[in-house]
Amino acid sequence: MARKLKRKNWALTIALLCGGLFVFLPLGSATEFSLRDGGKTKHSFAAYSWILAQPDFLHYLGLSLELALLTALITLLLVVPTVVWLHLRAESLRPMIEFLTILPLIIPVVALSIGVQSSFPSALQSTQFELPLMYVILALPYSFRAIDIGVRAIALKTISEAARGLGANWPRTIVHVIAPVMRSAVIGASFLTLALSLGEFTLTSLLHWDTFPTWVTTVGQQSIVGAIALSVFSLAAAFLLLFLVGLVSMKSKNHTSEEAA
Amino acid sequence: MNRSQLKRPLGMGVPNRGAHSLKFFAAIPLLPLFVYMGVFFFFPLSAVFRESLRDNLGHWSLVNFAAIVQNPYRLAFINSVKLGLISALTAALPGAIFAYIIETRGSEKLKRLVSSLAGVIANTGGVPLAFMFIATFGAEGSTTLVLKRMGWDLYSGDFTLFSFTGIVITYLYFQIPLMIIVFSPAVHGLRKEWREASQSLGATPLQFWRKIGVPLLFPSFAASFLLLFAGGFAAYATARAMTVGNVALVPLQIGNLIDGNVQINQMNVGKSLAVGMIIISALAMIPYFIIQARTRKWQGN
Repeated sequence: MARKLKRKNWALTIALLCGGLFVFLPLGSATEFSLRDGGKTKHSFAAYSWILAQPDFLHYLGLSLELALLTALITLLLVVPTVVWLHLRAESLRPMIEFLTILPLIIPVVALSIGVQSSFPSALQSTQFELPLMYVILALPYSFRAIDIGVRAIALKTISEAARGLGANWPRTIVHVIAPVMRSAVIGASFLTLALSLGEFTLTSLLHWDTFPTWVTTVGQQSIVGAIALSVFSLAAAFLLLFLVGLVSMKSKNHTSEEAA
Repeated sequence: MNRSQLKRPLGMGVPNRGAHSLKFFAAIPLLPLFVYMGVFFFFPLSAVFRESLRDNLGHWSLVNFAAIVQNPYRLAFINSVKLGLISALTAALPGAIFAYIIETRGSEKLKRLVSSLAGVIANTGGVPLAFMFIATFGAEGSTTLVLKRMGWDLYSGDFTLFSFTGIVITYLYFQIPLMIIVFSPAVHGLRKEWREASQSLGATPLQFWRKIGVPLLFPSFAASFLLLFAGGFAAYATARAMTVGNVALVPLQIGNLIDGNVQINQMNVGKSLAVGMIIISALAMIPYFIIQARTRKWQGN
């Protein structure tokens, strides 16, 4: 028994060491590189203060955030009612919807981009709002599944039948029963969509728009250290976002279980 | 929760009669999704297919497809398929082993941490990834310099990060986490009881793996491999940010054609390249779905 336990920990330790090296070697290297100041041994925050001094930094960060928020909003308006309806009344249509929503993952984004470029009316192509409209499609495989799994976990149908059985009408059921229990699924899906939109590069650059990720490549042509510092920043922001999702979803889980009790 | 219970339509008293119109009415609230996908997904895709079949004067023709089976496009297809295959092959086994160890030996907390971390790394990808690897294994990269001081000069031969090998190494950074994400559910579905049962019936660990473990996990392994292939085959951002002009890849060539670096007589070649990519991706993903649908039964989700 003791020998078995030891062997068990051995495999896990080696796996974690390899995993740690895999994650932190590039991340650590990039951090070191981003702190280089001219030579290879002198270090400073020069690259970071250089970034902050670029007027484009805040401009593109703001733009990307705006587009991402719009994407998340459209996604929720489109996906939440669809999933709720699927669970309540249209279970038989589920295989078809599942198939449809996974398609954007199968079709290469490059192929979709060339289609958009050659078929969308120029009125739409001359406004950057074509980006959030398309990001919604790219995020659909993830946003649909995130909300679907979240709703499945709360047995929406049983709960709403209970509310209706106790005399609540439909609007009341939606506002007071369905919306609160769906909060955690909605938050999870929103963050996923935000993260995906913030990092989207392929479609954006092929449609000749500039957002934060495409600006990073432009910076890379002037200052490689600056681009590396921006990459470290992007990844750190992604990890922070992840941490926040964990925190929020844990909190709202506690919240709903308290409400249930 | 009982599945058959969920499937029964609610409050609709008479079964069978008028089942068609019932299905039709049930579909109405789904219209916004259908319309949205129609406009922003199927419409542009239909344009790709349609225009791939038109020559420069707008006549129906196969001239674009005749162009892409020749170089440089032929070479790009070979490279892209090779990149998908090799990056998927090298990522699949380490990813699967890691997923297995974490799923069977890790605590719940560790499992959750690994899956979130893998999610971020697999999806952040793209541009930051390219620059991170330049900082790591580029000629002036931190790891390159450290290894050099230790007596191993990565650049003594003809290695560069901007070569086929370099791209494969960089792609592993999102392929391995992706493997962990898609393969973990299969390991999770491998019930402890099965192993215990085989043990109590006198099977050795080797026998367990040969007769039960591998046959059960292999379909999921193959499915995950196909997904990784499709990802590596179609990836654009990382390759583009590394500006590897010296390795011909289909996504990069489509990008070039969109950017207007086009010979006049090849207006619609980009679309036929896109159709080629869609066909190859679909060929990889169809078996993926078949396998997923089958394994879902015993994985119980």
